[in-house]
This record gives sequence, C-alpha cells and structure tokens, in this order.
Amino acid sequence: MIVAEWKPMPELLERMRGVKKLLLVGCATCVAECAAGGEREVETLAPLLRMAAAKQGGALEVITKTLERQCEWEFVEELAKLTPAADAVLSLACGIGVQALAERFPQLPVYPGVNTTALSIREKPGLWTARCAACGDCVLGDTFGLCPVARCAKSLLNGPCGGTRKNGKCEVDENTECVWTLIFERARQRGQLEVLLKVRKPKNWSRSGHGGPGRIDREDLRV
Amino acid sequence: MSGRSKKFEPRIVALYCANALDPEADLAAAVKAAEGFAVRPVALPCSSKAELSHLMKLLAEGADAVQVIACPEGSCQFLVGSARAEKRVQRGRALLMQIGMGEERLGLARGRGLKVEELMALLERRAGLVRGLGKNPISGEEEK
Repeated sequence: MIVAEWKPMPELLERMRGVKKLLLVGCATCVAECAAGGEREVETLAPLLRMAAAKQGGALEVITKTLERQCEWEFVEELAKLTPAADAVLSLACGIGVQALAERFPQLPVYPGVNTTALSIREKPGLWTARCAACGDCVLGDTFGLCPVARCAKSLLNGPCGGTRKNGKCEVDENTECVWTLIFERARQRGQLEVLLKVRKPKNWSRSGHGGPGRIDREDLRV
Repeated sequence: MSGRSKKFEPRIVALYCANALDPEADLAAAVKAAEGFAVRPVALPCSSKAELSHLMKLLAEGADAVQVIACPEGSCQFLVGSARAEKRVQRGRALLMQIGMGEERLGLARGRGLKVEELMALLERRAGLVRGLGKNPISGEEEK
C-alpha cells in the first residue's frame, strides 16, 4: 500500500495561518491502513487544529470528510457541496489525492497534511517498510521475490555490496535487513545458489521516474 | 489571565475502565462533593474504547483535562486494552505539546477496584497540574 505520515504539527499550523474555514479531507484507503489519513486521523487532527488556533487567539472552523478514495474522480466529486464553505483544503491523502483535489477545485488552496513515503507492507503493528519502488521493470522473478530496487539502499541488481554488517543488516541503517543477504538465504533454501552467479544486466530505468512521468495508456478500456 | 485566577476550577473528563473502580463506589456523590474542580465521569467497558480522536475531541469541546483510568498492566480483561490506552495517551500528550496546549491536559493512571477516594485523589492531582496551565483556550469565549 501507499504509506504516509503526518507532517510535523508546526508545519501544518504554519499552513493554517490565516485560514478561517478549513475543509479537512481524509482517504479511507491506503492512508487509512497506515493510520495517517483515514477517518480516525481526520477526527483526531481536526480538534487539534481547532485547539491550536484557539491557543493562538484565533478561531478555526474545520469541516471534516473522509472519502472512500481521493484518487478517483467519482469520490472526489462528493466534496463539491462542501468546498463553497471552505477557504482552504487540507488533504490527508497521498500525493495523488492531494493533486486530484487541487485539480478538481483549482479555486481553493489545497495543502498536503501528510508526507507520502513509500509503497510498503505492514510488518507488524506500527511498522511499515518499503517493498516496491514502482520502477516499471519488475525484477522480482530474478531475485527470489525480494526487491533490491526498493529494499537495497543502493538499488544494486548484483549485490550485496561490501557494507553488509555481520548481523545481516544494511550499513546505511542498523534496523534494515540487507536485502541481498535475504536473497542469498532464500536462494540457499531453494537449493538454487547457482542462480546468483548469473550477472543481471543493466536495468531499463527509463520506465521508472528517470524516464519522465509515468503513463499507462490503455485505449481498449475507453469507449 | 483569567485562566489563572483563583476561581479557575478545571473541568475534567474522567474516562475510566469499569473494572478499575470499586463496583460499590458511590461516584455520583463524590463527584458532587468535589471542591476546586468539576468532574464528568464516563465509564468504559475497557480503557481502550477511548480512541485518540475521542480524547482530542473532548479537549476541543472545552474540557480542561482528560484523565484516563486503566487497569494495571497484566490485569486487563482484554489483555492489551490498557496498554493500547497508554500508547494513545502518550501520543496525545506529544501532540498537545506540539501545539502548545500542554501535555498535562491529558493523562493516564492505572488502578483496579479503586476506592472512590483514590479515584478522586487522582483527579485532584490532574486538576492541580492543569491549574498551572490555565483554562483551556478554546473555552475562552464562553467564559467571558
């Protein structure tokens, strides 16, 4: 899922300076799963913003709404009846949702309430770790189902580097597993260590962000 | 300034696990007799029923403080309910600190089968901590 986390409160409060009526919008999909932008988080942040405004001697009216998805126009349209009452929008969705609102309601300033961080899996409650970099040229079939693009700090296709710690952790972060150690262990479990002797060729990075904004055009889906 | 006047009597919402309080306790009488602060007691089947959004909303609706009373570690009938409540309170306190409201407006205490005097003593302590912070700024308008 796409994961995100709240922006620091001082940054949010600075954005809200001068705003009198705020439309705070959550998204009930990915950011709800990672406890950053679902209904619970919307209903937590709204009173906090109101209290912060009162603390600064002002008053902030907060209208709350959580959409099923902020990245689908059909759901975004539900906000049309609420936006006339607001002078700014704060979105707790990922960057896609924020841009969707800004595109649909160009007359209003739309601010992000979260920092979108990665495509991650929930390892355990409260811990999400990156699993996919949306690179557009998946190599998981060659790496025993473990992604070196997202999970290696250097995105090495022929790892490991020389920096793996003795306990199998990454030299960049002691809490992060060296994915190439994990790949090696899985290859050994399957009795296929020889597969790792093969040199993987340079990857086609033009299909990732390096090749410009991504685009999938499926004409067959349009009528 | 009025928030720190001698007349300031903090309004405290007490969210307590039903198991944390002595079932024989006459809470209504104790609440009525409280001096120097006002209490709104709310019984919960477990302290974990209080979400972070509930805690923040109570404060944003004008409570000067919210006191959660949970069962001691290891004796929660829902096993991890009181631990969840504690984590939520910790996060809530951090957020209140970040917006300058003061973390002491929210707190958690633990107890099981508490006598009503013990509960009121906990609330008295919370009231004392909040007096130093003054009245909840969001209730300023209605107090004028």
